[in-house]
Amino acid sequence: MIRFEDASVTYPGGVLALRDLSIEVDAGEFVVIVGLSGAGKSTLIRAVNGLVPLTSGKLQVNGREVTELSRAGMRELRSEVGMIFQGFNLVERTTVLNNVLMGRLHRVPTWRTLLGMYPKADIDIAARALGQVEIIEKAYTRASDLSGGQRQRVGIARALAQEPSIVLADEPVASLDPPTSHVVMRYLQQISRDLGITTIVNLHFLDLATAYADRIIGLRDGMLVFDGPGSACDAQVFEDIYGRSLTADDTMHKQAAL
Amino acid sequence: MTVPTVGIQAPNLPPKPRPSLFAIGGTLAAIAMTIVTARSVGFSFGGIVTNLGRKNSVIEGLLSPDWGQIWSRRSRAPFIETFQLAVLGTATGSLLSLPLALWSTRFGNPNPFTRGILRGFNNVIRSIPDLLWALLFVSAVGIGALPGLLALFFFSLAVTTKLTSDTLDGIDMGPIEAANATGANLSQMLRTAVVPQILPAYSSFVLYNFEINLRASAVLGLVGAGGIGNRIEFFRGRGEWEELWGLVFMFFLVVFVVERISVTLRRRLI
Repeated sequence: MIRFEDASVTYPGGVLALRDLSIEVDAGEFVVIVGLSGAGKSTLIRAVNGLVPLTSGKLQVNGREVTELSRAGMRELRSEVGMIFQGFNLVERTTVLNNVLMGRLHRVPTWRTLLGMYPKADIDIAARALGQVEIIEKAYTRASDLSGGQRQRVGIARALAQEPSIVLADEPVASLDPPTSHVVMRYLQQISRDLGITTIVNLHFLDLATAYADRIIGLRDGMLVFDGPGSACDAQVFEDIYGRSLTADDTMHKQAAL
Repeated sequence: MTVPTVGIQAPNLPPKPRPSLFAIGGTLAAIAMTIVTARSVGFSFGGIVTNLGRKNSVIEGLLSPDWGQIWSRRSRAPFIETFQLAVLGTATGSLLSLPLALWSTRFGNPNPFTRGILRGFNNVIRSIPDLLWALLFVSAVGIGALPGLLALFFFSLAVTTKLTSDTLDGIDMGPIEAANATGANLSQMLRTAVVPQILPAYSSFVLYNFEINLRASAVLGLVGAGGIGNRIEFFRGRGEWEELWGLVFMFFLVVFVVERISVTLRRRLI
């Protein structure tokens, strides 16, 4: 479970990215966060695994107080939280398998990592993760030789290799074309359902959000402006989130048709 | 097919910017400095021409080098020593340079204090040239191959660390964030997210460093730090120019071959 209590984040330079946010995400939920660029979506997601520290307020993740964690405690927490990125963040020059094995680092002794000698059990877990996103045949391909959609599936496999209880996805489809975006979203949804993984996804297309989310959280200027099921997301909610009414630019389908 | 351009008037470009005062001033200063320094060191073309005409045993030796030196048993040992010095100096120096370069980056060393110390150390060893290292160690541990090895070790360390640091400045930070997000510790992050990105460039720097070391080892011997330079210095002291030039040709040949191989290998790496 994830619980924000009056959480605020101010970046050096004075930018207020989150303002007094209080939300709770239960185990196994599939939550999509929507909002404009700079609304605080990335900050919220990065607060969960401590990549961005809170300036004030409280944040509990899997029973731990994130703001009070030691360095080792933080690594322990992060190992339970998989993360998927907009730019995939793969190591281009190495194989798909090596990229996925990154998800095992917390469980593998440092000396083994340095020598690149991963235990059989961890390689099996990485292989299983690649199987889950149906890209196992690319295990020994260099990441730079993959298409965008394949790269993001490797990104998902890397997160799954952590055997996480929470998955955070920061704009996972922003670099992909519409059909590929749906493929990636379906993998995320399926994984969340099959394995009971709490999933938080940042999106900026509202139609994609309503199509997949159990629950939508709308952010604007770092503040919560909507929290509810996708079905409750009407034109008024849209205006609250985006500060104007819906246009063709805001939905992926209409934009793809242009 | 050509697009007809007749009848389409080219739009007016905005006024061309003038060269900056800095560029003009810098060019003038460079010219002035060249003239001033040439005068102060007493440079004159006349001197070169008159000296060329004189009888000179060094140049005469160059015209009839002793090719026998190439196969001479007494020259072979210092050649092998030169090679050993270059290999060992490169291997040890560049091996240590990788962690040193990694630990002097912001992401590889979050502690600003130790980072500052490491960067200072890198700057100091970089500012000392190979010959000075050799002189220092000859005075410290005496003549022989050991001071040569120590000199090449520090020289390699400086060169490879510098080149690797520059490469590290330009890497993709995405994988670093990804590794940190999995709960990896610092060493694991550096090994899995950073090293694969710089490995080809780093290997190329190591090879390049080996080339430099091989050439540097010819000079090291002049100050008593072992290798082929000792033998060159021996002939020079006795005024045996034919033998000296034979040896220099041999050295040139070795360096040329090694360099060709190294260049080919490096091209495949990057």
